[in-house]
Amino acid sequence: MTRGARGIRVGRVICTALLVLGMGGHVAAQTPAKRPSATKSAAQIDITPLKALGTKGAPITMEVFSDFQCPACRELYFQTVRPVIDNYVSAGKVYLIHRDNPLQQHPHSREAARYANAAARVRKMEKVVIALFDKQAAWTADGNIDGVVASALTPAEMNQVRKLVRSGTLDAGIDKDLALGTQFRVTQTPTTIITYKGQTYPVVGVVSYNMLKTFLEQLLKQ
Amino acid sequence: MTRWLIFVGRVALGFMFVYAAYTKLQLPWISFAATIQSYKLPLPDQAVMFAARTLPWFELALGVLLLIGVQLRWLATAASLLLLVFFAVLVRSFALGMNIDCGCFGPGDQLTWKTLLRDGLLLLVSIAVTVGAFLTRRKAGDVPAMTREPQPAEGRTE
Repeated sequence: MTRGARGIRVGRVICTALLVLGMGGHVAAQTPAKRPSATKSAAQIDITPLKALGTKGAPITMEVFSDFQCPACRELYFQTVRPVIDNYVSAGKVYLIHRDNPLQQHPHSREAARYANAAARVRKMEKVVIALFDKQAAWTADGNIDGVVASALTPAEMNQVRKLVRSGTLDAGIDKDLALGTQFRVTQTPTTIITYKGQTYPVVGVVSYNMLKTFLEQLLKQ
Repeated sequence: MTRWLIFVGRVALGFMFVYAAYTKLQLPWISFAATIQSYKLPLPDQAVMFAARTLPWFELALGVLLLIGVQLRWLATAASLLLLVFFAVLVRSFALGMNIDCGCFGPGDQLTWKTLLRDGLLLLVSIAVTVGAFLTRRKAGDVPAMTREPQPAEGRTE
């Protein structure tokens, strides 16, 4: 091997090593990510506890950024979130927060979010969320969200919900969730932000309950 | 000329694989697992978890080795096979009308015809590098094409 060729090869290896080391350092710094500082202000939103399930002091917090008209959000809710509620929220291991992220391409999703937020204020959010996801195809087709929500609540509760929806005060809470989503770089729904010991772990898309369980157990063992 | 084209192709592929790995390794493995699951392939959860945990590291290793340029024929073949699998999965999902994230370079990369065009071009480059690496070696005898050292001029040997 000539001296020049050896030099080129050594240089090539050094450059590649520097590239990989630089990348490794960056990856180590990025994973897991630090929680955005604005989260503290988001936690001060009054409605957040009403949109949450479980104990606030649970070791893991799961925030699901969801759109009621999005089929993948429906799939995540029934396939993964429900078992998480049954097995982790009930056991005090996960604090689950619903975050609204209505997408512009879904014409009825903001209205659905308004109904869900109104239901949260009368402490019936879970019932309404189940109804909205369960009958998603129906109200997506005809836009009759009111009818679907009414089927899940008592007449008295529905009257309160309707008053709140008509009051026009619910958009602020939805917009705060959207702003929080922007800070978490939520670009699609569903996106789940898992927080454990101050570190956040974003999960984009639908993940099966078994996989999420593996991940949660891995976190809890840390 | 051919050797220069092979060089440019392998460096481009190397950087592409390193970048693809970098975007995936920034997130927890479960995020990439969710992306794989969104393709709705007939794979058990264990296989998805294994792929989510290992594929980014495989891409990183492949990218780094392509940049170094050792064993180019076999690395380029591996890169071509990997890109062929990716491309086949993308075409299937696009044909099925799936409105999903490609996940090729992290989240927020929606699967569209542009994604297919980009990945198709990458596959073509990879195949060209593979064929070029084999042909160059055949012409050069048994000495590996991209690792062959320039012939020293007379009187300048070490």
